[in-house]
Amino acid sequence: MNPQLQLLIALQDILSLIREARDPSQKRALGKMGFKLTNLEALEQSREDLESQLSPAIRSQYARAKKRYGRIVAPVINGICYGCFVKIPSAIDTAEDRNQTLYRCENCGMFLFWVEK
Amino acid sequence: MKLSEILTPRRIALDLKARTKEEVLEELVRLLKLSSPARKALLRTLTAREELGSTSVGGGVAIPHCRSLVVSKVLVAVGLSRRGINFRSPDRKRVFLFFLIFAPLVGNPGEYLVVLGSVAQAAKVLARDRRIKKVKTARDFIKLVKELEK
Repeated sequence: MNPQLQLLIALQDILSLIREARDPSQKRALGKMGFKLTNLEALEQSREDLESQLSPAIRSQYARAKKRYGRIVAPVINGICYGCFVKIPSAIDTAEDRNQTLYRCENCGMFLFWVEK
Repeated sequence: MKLSEILTPRRIALDLKARTKEEVLEELVRLLKLSSPARKALLRTLTAREELGSTSVGGGVAIPHCRSLVVSKVLVAVGLSRRGINFRSPDRKRVFLFFLIFAPLVGNPGEYLVVLGSVAQAAKVLARDRRIKKVKTARDFIKLVKELEK
């Protein structure tokens, strides 16, 4: 997998964890199950560490997508970008270097990740 | 949703070899038989989730969980450690029963919470049942879960 894509996926997952920990209703629901979400600072630190490993060009695209959508990577399932629900051109969708090369959706601009079935 | 409906024998390990928190997460993720990049990505997110707070709910049970971009459906794995593992539990007890849950980032987050809630409830009941320590096969484990669900 493309190393920058690996970082972007890790960042996307961490951003989702941070959102979960900040959402009062989710936090309450998880708390009732016995899960305490206490150390948000550690997670923010992990996010910053990962962001610092992005190449400068990717970092600026990442910042734009994050600001615009709150998300940065869109999963591709059955040829559909799950960021904007538009079909990916088949030349890209069937390319052998999927996940090896960093592709962005031509419609929404999010980075693309082809999910294993 | 019933726990028995989402369990698969090949994703149940009844004698975990792991001795540490990090090792147990790795061993559980390995049960899912994913590609190496997917496995690494999930481990990274799980570790971040543990930084946020331990996923042990006490009583010898831990439910490491997170939503991730690299999965397209809910995946569950189960592990039983005969000696127990220090998982930084709130009650400071060693954890012997582990339920690993991954859910996709896309889709309804409410559904993920329902799965997590069902597993948390069933896992606590299961951990209190003495038969759990005598279970010898993955199929017997699922059978016991089904019995407790009745």
